[in-house]
Amino acid sequence: MPIETIIGAWVATGLTLFIFSFLYKDNPLFKLAENLYVGVSVGYTIVKTYDTVIMHLIWKPIVENGEWALLIPVAIGLLMLTRYVPKAAWMSRYAFAFIVGVGSGLAIPRVISSYILKQIEDTVRPLMVLVPGDGVTFTWSLLNPASGLNTIIILVGVSSVLFYFFFSVEHTGPGRAVARTGILFLMIAFGAAFGYTVMARMSLLIGRLMDLIEFSDASYGQPTLWLLAITMLTLATLAFMSRRHQGNPPESH
Amino acid sequence: MTFAERMLKIDRRIIFLVIGLCTLLPLLNPVGLPIKISPEVRGVYDYIESLPEGSVFLVSLDFDPASKPELQPQSVALLRHAFRKNLRVVAMTLWVTGTGLADQIITQVAREMGKESGKDYVFLGWSPGGTAVIINMGQDLYSAFPADYNGKPTKGLSVLQGITNLRDVNYAISLAAGNPGVEAWYVFGKDKYKFELGGGCTGVMAPGLYPLLRSGQINGLIGGLRGAAEYESLIGQKGKAVAGMDAQSATHLAIIVLVIICNVFYLSLRKAARQQGQSRA
Repeated sequence: MPIETIIGAWVATGLTLFIFSFLYKDNPLFKLAENLYVGVSVGYTIVKTYDTVIMHLIWKPIVENGEWALLIPVAIGLLMLTRYVPKAAWMSRYAFAFIVGVGSGLAIPRVISSYILKQIEDTVRPLMVLVPGDGVTFTWSLLNPASGLNTIIILVGVSSVLFYFFFSVEHTGPGRAVARTGILFLMIAFGAAFGYTVMARMSLLIGRLMDLIEFSDASYGQPTLWLLAITMLTLATLAFMSRRHQGNPPESH
Repeated sequence: MTFAERMLKIDRRIIFLVIGLCTLLPLLNPVGLPIKISPEVRGVYDYIESLPEGSVFLVSLDFDPASKPELQPQSVALLRHAFRKNLRVVAMTLWVTGTGLADQIITQVAREMGKESGKDYVFLGWSPGGTAVIINMGQDLYSAFPADYNGKPTKGLSVLQGITNLRDVNYAISLAAGNPGVEAWYVFGKDKYKFELGGGCTGVMAPGLYPLLRSGQINGLIGGLRGAAEYESLIGQKGKAVAGMDAQSATHLAIIVLVIICNVFYLSLRKAARQQGQSRA
């Protein structure tokens, strides 16, 4: 097995176990892994961005291909950096104005079309459909998302949840029943979201444990077993030292 | 202190241990619980299955190593399916922190399936701008990615022959762990350039994407490790996702049992407190 794979296995195992050690209590091993994670992520992003943006998208096209028009976006981008010079900070507004203007212009029509119009279109589907041969029919299947019954459920859900967030009218009498129905729909939605979140978190745990099982193999040098022993020993030592420190009375001056 | 009170104040590390064991034991001794295929995952599979050989399949690996356990199995299964169908695979990422991982995944699957970079597939890498990259690709793919991840100019690559922009893509799928991801690909891609779009995502994101699925804005959705396991079953190549399903089921069962037990103890305590209050009155 290549040496870099073995080193990678040892590093991955060590960092996984150090992070998991937080489940026992906060400790220096966890802090080490946490800070390494943040540092490596930021370092990787900076290097990758520098290589892709500065070298491949700006420097090479200008110097090697003579694409001088690229200096215009570069100049607009550089205006952002004037924020760090108080006297010239006003110039950054032009760059922000450009970004906000272009961004809004591109996003607003697309977002309205995708999230509002398309979703409204799907919410107000016809209750009955014309089926050739059967005439106008109403379908009762809960399993079919396009059935008449599901259309009613969605209509009731959307209306009641919207009413629940309508605070200009007091939720009393029939309004209270509608608002309570809205809460019911919201609770079902939150429950589904929480269920999926649990599944996602468990998937992450499964992923790490799969790697730990794989790295307990002799071909990697059994990093899981060695590093687990080291982590547990370190935690035990830290716990012992902390207890001893608590046991000693504070020194008087 | 009553038993119920003691149980409600139990050291949470015991619960961590229970969940850890429920995950570890099925991984060491898999049972092989059956996996039912959902219509949303089948939607993606059927569409890829219906594509003729040589069709352009764009896969955007919009995630970083933090979501690897859920999205790597999805990526591997999808790429295996696409390569088996001899589709022209165009891979890319909108996440700078996921560039190395995306390259590793596509290179590994391509090598396994005997595919050649530049001829059968291309990994375009990452380009700055997020959603702006999608718009740029919709106008001119070569201006968004003048070179691939290995620095080869994209113009002239045989895998990209006849492709000028996103309108020439037959099927696109975004495997996303956040934004930019599936929604961005719909809003700035499919809605404007009219190609068929599917989605894959982490479990956390899945409920938020179901409205897009129901309205037909995406034609299929692979949600989390469960979705990956379904896809692996569909292509008949069981991998890491299927292996993790027993552990997933066991932990879910453990959590359901814990929720029920906690509620029983809580309700019994409340009942006892109410009875105490009545006897004092």
